Amino acid sequence: MILKTFLSILVTIFFIGISFAHHGGASFNNEANIAVRGKVTRFDFINPHVLIYIEVIDDNGDAVEWSGEITSPNRLARRELAAGAVRWSKDVLQPGDEIILGGNPARNGSPFLRLRLVIDSQGNYLNGNEDYFKSLELISG
Amino acid sequence: MDINLLYKLFLSIFFISSINAQEGNAEADFSGVWNNFPPEGTRSFQNSQLIGELPPMTPWARALYDQAKPTFGAMGVPVLETNDPVYQCFRPGTPRIYMHPFPMEIIHTPGRVLMIFEYDHVVRQIFTDGRDHRTDLGPMWMGDSIGYWDDGVLVVETVNFNDRTWIDREGVPHSDELKVVERMYLDDEENLVIDIEITDPVAFTESWSGRRRYRKVDWVIEEFSCMDNFTFKAWEEELAEYD
Repeated sequence: MILKTFLSILVTIFFIGISFAHHGGASFNNEANIAVRGKVTRFDFINPHVLIYIEVIDDNGDAVEWSGEITSPNRLARRELAAGAVRWSKDVLQPGDEIILGGNPARNGSPFLRLRLVIDSQGNYLNGNEDYFKSLELISG
Repeated sequence: MDINLLYKLFLSIFFISSINAQEGNAEADFSGVWNNFPPEGTRSFQNSQLIGELPPMTPWARALYDQAKPTFGAMGVPVLETNDPVYQCFRPGTPRIYMHPFPMEIIHTPGRVLMIFEYDHVVRQIFTDGRDHRTDLGPMWMGDSIGYWDDGVLVVETVNFNDRTWIDREGVPHSDELKVVERMYLDDEENLVIDIEITDPVAFTESWSGRRRYRKVDWVIEEFSCMDNFTFKAWEEELAEYD
């Protein structure tokens, strides 16, 4: 229990730190973290923020478009990579790729995410890591 | 005259002038691409503030600060509600340009040092040829910068600002009496330090100072157009209006 409280405080501090280092953060709930799986419909590798759109089949079998934003392409492409990791580029995601997006959901319940996690169709972590993924609730797909 | 004596005289003059250059106005070489590298303990605020606390504002400045709707910090609002002038693609001003998390390239050219920022391709020209500040132009977003070398330190004074930019990304204002004095120097070949002193008798009760640190990177300056912000704004509007 003490450990759990400690961890939740740590996580909260972590996300407060992030929210202050990011503009437009007020639209998202920093305390919630979710993931969705779907097929890429659009990938805009553009400034100031990269936008990724996927089609998610919800529990009723209906298609819902989710989108997520992540930092600028210039910054993503410059990342120092661990061995074997995939470098971000305009071609890193293709329409039809089945991917997982995770992060902070919109406060108003709309299918928009501030991305913390992007896993490509091959299982590569383009952003985020396995520990974070395991902590998420996969809400559909 | 003995040719040997002439040679010695030449050597002496060369020697004396080289000492002068080193101790007086010796230049350092800042050429290269630099990226902001906040030290531990400052990382949390360096993206949006010059120092980790509010500067000593006058009541005039405090009233403007209270009206500011920044997207960063404790008063942060969604992009759609902000009155931050940068979201209209106005120049960020000096020193706020240092708070946008993108690299800059420094180019030395005779009589000038150029700072080329990736963020919206803002260019600062720092004239080092001994000229004075401009008196013929109106106030400017980035101000007008002149500098001189002091023993490897580039000392830059910037004035002639308008009063429409913020000092930082959290809404700290300034007046058109703002004066920014920067001291730029190399810690070593890979590390550049910029000490920044802010003076503005209308906005602040006393001068105050902050520091930015940069590390050399092997990048090139990529394209970054502020107008792309409107793409992001469209996405935020879709989010806000989602039914």
